Amino acid sequence: MHGIESFDNLRLELRRGCLVLAVLGALREEQCGYTLRKSLAEHGLAIDEGTLYPLLRRLEGQGLLASEWRLEDKRNKRFYGLTGEGTQILEQLLAEWRDIDSSIRGILEKQGAGSWN
Amino acid sequence: MELIERYLQAVQFWLPKGQKSDIIAELSEDLHAQIEERETGLGRKLTEAEVDAILMERGRPVLVANRFLPQEHLIGPVLFPIYRFVLKIVMLCYLAPWALTWLGLMIYKPGYRAEQGDHWMVALGSAWGALWTTAFIAVGTVTIVFAILERVQAKSHFLEKWNPRKLPAVRNPTLIPRSSSVFEVGANLFCLIWWPTYMYSRVVRIGPDVRISLSSLWPLFFWGVLLLAAVNTALASVNLMRPYWTGRRATVRLVTDFIGSALFCWLLKANVLVGIAVVNVSAERTIPIMNLINLGKARAFPASVAVCIVIVCVDAYRIVRLRTARARLTLEAIAH
Repeated sequence: MHGIESFDNLRLELRRGCLVLAVLGALREEQCGYTLRKSLAEHGLAIDEGTLYPLLRRLEGQGLLASEWRLEDKRNKRFYGLTGEGTQILEQLLAEWRDIDSSIRGILEKQGAGSWN
Repeated sequence: MELIERYLQAVQFWLPKGQKSDIIAELSEDLHAQIEERETGLGRKLTEAEVDAILMERGRPVLVANRFLPQEHLIGPVLFPIYRFVLKIVMLCYLAPWALTWLGLMIYKPGYRAEQGDHWMVALGSAWGALWTTAFIAVGTVTIVFAILERVQAKSHFLEKWNPRKLPAVRNPTLIPRSSSVFEVGANLFCLIWWPTYMYSRVVRIGPDVRISLSSLWPLFFWGVLLLAAVNTALASVNLMRPYWTGRRATVRLVTDFIGSALFCWLLKANVLVGIAVVNVSAERTIPIMNLINLGKARAFPASVAVCIVIVCVDAYRIVRLRTARARLTLEAIAH
């Protein structure tokens, strides 16, 4: 039970950092909140609205995203897209992501199977 | 869809003022999009129970709104460990003595006991209330001080300015400071010379005019103190030569402190002082002085017991700490 809880907490921590990258990556194409949430879930990165919308507002506040309200299918929706700065930051974060990935691969390969058990 | 409107209204209540309508419009759009998609899939309108389930899945309105609020704290992670440490000190140095004093007054002062209701349970009830008030004020004051410090720290970042060279030296629980051993040797040697010279007899003379008479119990106390001073001189001398605690020496210190404490407390309780005679002063005038001394001793008894308990506990803790350190060293040796 304790192990499951630990795993859940660690997984949450690991995914939290990755979500920013996923959201920025997905918003290279303009999308509204709901379709973004769906597309992330389809790619195996389900995110609840309570996490997504505050994150979108934070990234918009940092100037990485821009949004506008538009009418679509008879409904008013807010569309988000990357700003120039957002695109730049995304590239930097992706480079960082690849570095981390290769570092971890290196560490695991050096230690054999990657497990002591 | 009254249920959705009610839900959104409840969320809106907790949202930051300037962003209420914007956030609610976005959440509303998201909710309606989800419901619409579900209805398209089912080919019918959702029932109230199904809408209910969607809202339940989204969570309590206050929790949903909370995620849009900036993270706030009264005392941040930098100051929190210090805050907790100070609270522990306050509990130990303020509330514990308060409780001990109350206990002492209840046991040794009948007047106070009568004032409190003369029944232990009634007195305990009223003391419990007073203790809570004291604790509330103490904890509240510490919290307010730290909340102010947190605000100051957030602006000035004064805790970020530090120097590793100013950190305290590594603590060694087995080390005995030579200065304390020198002091102990000196004090015990002085006692070994002064005590038998002036306190041997049951009639102690202070100058040519004052004569103090002691009870028949005095020799027991006299020899006890002399023996303890001799053992303590030997122990302090060994500690001076080998300035680290060993299990054996720590046990000797515990035993001597325990016997010394018991002897001292017993001296306060027993009426050792039986008479004071001063040349050209009548007994009528010296008896009140003697009574006053005996009364003072009796009054000092509870506090002395408390101090003696602390001393013995410190000695016992030293032994436990030594054993723990030794066990750790053994484990480290095995591991290597």
